[in-house]
Amino acid sequence: MSLTVNVIFHLVDDNDIDIAVNTKLLQLSGITPDIHTYNNAAKFLQSIQSNQEYYSTKEHVILLDIMMPGMNGFECLDELSKLPEKIKARMKVFMLSSSIDRNDIRRAESYDLVQRVLEKPLDIYLLKKTLEGIYE
Amino acid sequence: MSDRIGILYLDDEEQNLLSFQALFRRDYDIHTATNAPDAVQILNTQDIQIIFSDQKMPEVSGVEFFEMILHDFPHAVRILITGYADIEAVIDAINKGQVYRYVTKPWDPNELKICVENALEKFRRDKELIEKNTRLAEANAELEKFVYSASHDLRAPVASIMGVLKVAKMEGIDGKTAGYFDMIEKSTARLNEFATNIINYFQNDHSETLHEEISFDAIIDEVFDKYQRQPEYQFITFRKDVAANSTFHSDTYRIRMILNNLVSNAVKFCDNKKPQCFVDVSVVQNKEKAVVRVTDNGIGISPQVLPTIFEMLFSNSDKNVGSGVGLYIAKKATKKLGGTISASSEQGKGSRFTFEIPNKA
Repeated sequence: MSLTVNVIFHLVDDNDIDIAVNTKLLQLSGITPDIHTYNNAAKFLQSIQSNQEYYSTKEHVILLDIMMPGMNGFECLDELSKLPEKIKARMKVFMLSSSIDRNDIRRAESYDLVQRVLEKPLDIYLLKKTLEGIYE
Repeated sequence: MSDRIGILYLDDEEQNLLSFQALFRRDYDIHTATNAPDAVQILNTQDIQIIFSDQKMPEVSGVEFFEMILHDFPHAVRILITGYADIEAVIDAINKGQVYRYVTKPWDPNELKICVENALEKFRRDKELIEKNTRLAEANAELEKFVYSASHDLRAPVASIMGVLKVAKMEGIDGKTAGYFDMIEKSTARLNEFATNIINYFQNDHSETLHEEISFDAIIDEVFDKYQRQPEYQFITFRKDVAANSTFHSDTYRIRMILNNLVSNAVKFCDNKKPQCFVDVSVVQNKEKAVVRVTDNGIGISPQVLPTIFEMLFSNSDKNVGSGVGLYIAKKATKKLGGTISASSEQGKGSRFTFEIPNKA
């Protein structure tokens, strides 16, 4: 089931149940064993800042929740857009939302970094199909 | 601003203006003008509730004057003063809604007073109605907004539960608890459908209608995919047939919403007793329109309820699976696309839903 490319997953979500569920789903489906979780966007941005080398050498997939207290998904995207090209080139973002607003989809699609908006619960099949399209 | 009622009287004969003033000056704020521009000037600067105008004037007639000011001062009550000779023009003006009443010349002071009182009463009633309507519209918008945001909030924990159920199923549930999980899953699916429907209802009502190029193939594949991937729906055959004679422009989001609802119904009401269940979606699209048919060989709809299925909160409760909003939303979305939707059915044999939408290319 795993992808031919080694992909590192970063889950950014304030809801710990959704983090636990998505981690499990990724593990059980065998897409990747390499999963990092963050319960707010600031922690994720901080991780990038302090590990720039790591983020610019391997393939990273971000599952980014839209609705979060503090910095929300779109604000986080704005910050990610400012990162150096060598990091952005290896970063694929999927926006997650429990109820998809039509305007959110259009807004998300206006970012180059965003691959797709996915509705919760995470559809692993759809995610995998999209990733295969990107990497294989 | 004074509490006194402002009345404007436009007449090219000054003698009429003077006797009008003498009659009403004590009870109302009377403003007079001998020509239309002066009258407009007064309307712009004074608070006027009732407007009298003579019909026969050298430059503009009374009816023409009322037409001129109708747009900017729609709430003032308009009364025409006229001789019998102009009666055709008056009837016409009243029928068009430009004039509330007319008074014949020479006027009778008592009749004129009653006329003013009636006009005032009408003005107050109109004003009250406008205020009530505004409050109602506000309350309605508030309520809709509340329901919308409540549904969003509701959907979040539902999505979490669905996620947990997914993981539990992947990890394997043993015999005895499997039944309970199954019940939780079914109930959650209903809750999920209801929340999703309400969100869709709101988004259909409030988001703009796009005219983008439509791929019915892609939309149908996406709608079918949800079922075809799951083992429990393997006994249903999903078929699609798209005859595209030209490109088609409409709104993907709404078409998907309609198809999702129709296909989900076809799946819900499939007939397990039949050896082979199917859901067919066919599309014929041309320069003018697209006709989409969703046909199944399910349990069908009884002739008694068939006429009511597109109404809000209709639910064929025998199977206890519907939220009662799905078809209502499908109809509303079809309407937004400028189209129509209909259903035919034979109990025990199956149902067919057809929607027709115009090509916005």
